[in-house]
Amino acid sequence: MMRGIWTRETVALLLIAACLPLAAFWLWYGGPGAAARLGLAALVLAAWQLVFLLVRAQPVCVVGALTALAVAMLAPEGLGPWRLVLGISFGAVMGELVFGGWGRNVVHPATVALSFLGFGFPAFAWPEIALPVAWAAIPAGLIGLVSGVMPVGVLGAAALLGAAATGAGLVDPGVLPAAGVVLVLLVADPVCSASTRPGQWLTGALYAALTGLFAAGWHGAAPVQITVAAALLTALAAPALDETALAVWHANRRRRHGRT
Amino acid sequence: MSSRTDLRATLTDPLVRQNPVTLQILGICSALAVTTSVATALTMSVSLTVVLTLSAAAISLIRRHIPDAIRLIVQIVIVASMVIVIDQVLQAFLGEISRALSIYVSLITTNCLVLGRTEAYARHHAPLPAAVDAFGNGLGYSLVLLVVGALRELLGRGALFGHSVLPTVDEGGWFTPLGLMLLAPSAFFLLGGLVWAIRSLRPEQSEAPEHTPPTRTAEAAE
Repeated sequence: MMRGIWTRETVALLLIAACLPLAAFWLWYGGPGAAARLGLAALVLAAWQLVFLLVRAQPVCVVGALTALAVAMLAPEGLGPWRLVLGISFGAVMGELVFGGWGRNVVHPATVALSFLGFGFPAFAWPEIALPVAWAAIPAGLIGLVSGVMPVGVLGAAALLGAAATGAGLVDPGVLPAAGVVLVLLVADPVCSASTRPGQWLTGALYAALTGLFAAGWHGAAPVQITVAAALLTALAAPALDETALAVWHANRRRRHGRT
Repeated sequence: MSSRTDLRATLTDPLVRQNPVTLQILGICSALAVTTSVATALTMSVSLTVVLTLSAAAISLIRRHIPDAIRLIVQIVIVASMVIVIDQVLQAFLGEISRALSIYVSLITTNCLVLGRTEAYARHHAPLPAAVDAFGNGLGYSLVLLVVGALRELLGRGALFGHSVLPTVDEGGWFTPLGLMLLAPSAFFLLGGLVWAIRSLRPEQSEAPEHTPPTRTAEAAE
């Protein structure tokens, strides 16, 4: 009866549902300006998905709404529409669509777009994450965990390590709101994080470690900038973490059962 | 008649159809490093084309006398001699650009494009076809360098050959330079985009996929 219900679109819809609290709080505090950014981002992403549907017969995916939310929330402020369109186009095409669409990409398209905008236009200030919006990341993560679309290891390791480091006074608490939002929106994406269980825990730990490292050593960087950079490097490292997990599994198997 | 057509094909094939950079992905180290402006890209292109053509002709001339065991050493010695001459000429007459290119002119010696052509073509062909092939490959390399260099300088500084084309915000215009274009990653993006564009127009250049994605379970069940 339930067979066939878990398609790519089901996962995408559940991810969107998980991030709804975040979107609602952000729109409430951001006002019409935030809504306009979200609308613009969604429009650009929809246009590119349509182009790839017509040219390469790649099926459209609703997850674009989530990418739009991430870019609109985290992109530097005051960029104006054209720069935003350029950055989103780059992220969507180079980060996701050329690989064959959502599910085959290596890095989250929003991470690519945000990194592009950050490096390309360094003069623009990164946004501040309002505290109530950051609190909304907790229900978002919980819904993602309960529905099974966000990897437990990523959220668990990042939360545990982050809490421990903050408790020990190693991490500046000012980074935490941005770190939570980026964790839920970009790092805990089931496609861009590791696929194996140990790899997922390593992914979360790496994200927390990189965030802590950048927060301590990267002077003059905004919290969102720090966490987006950590998310980018974490996503790039995820395949290597999976490889490590598989290599350890194979080594254990060989040790127990001999060469098979 | 046929030999003339062959020469023409030898010259024009490496421009797009057999482009050494976009098809064979040779010589991209320098192609990425020197393309922050058109002037440096042009100087590098001319230097490489001259070195490649002269060394291909020289190696082809003595191709029957090079012992196989030491052929690579001989080829590199010839290429390195040409590179030293070009480097000295650049230092004497184009001091500023020579400093901007820093070590990349000297590194033409180890450019895999140069050794690739001398090893694959000049060693087996007469001097004229060898020189024409080398010149064509030099032009193919130059074409890619100039396209990437022009895009990077235009988008990164709003200028071409140092002359302002798009008035930047600093000068009271409207164009905000895209700082990323002057950093190394942008050369990868642009080169990747160029390869993608060429392979979309000429699908015969694209490689066969190494993996086939698994079919979806719903489709497989049907």
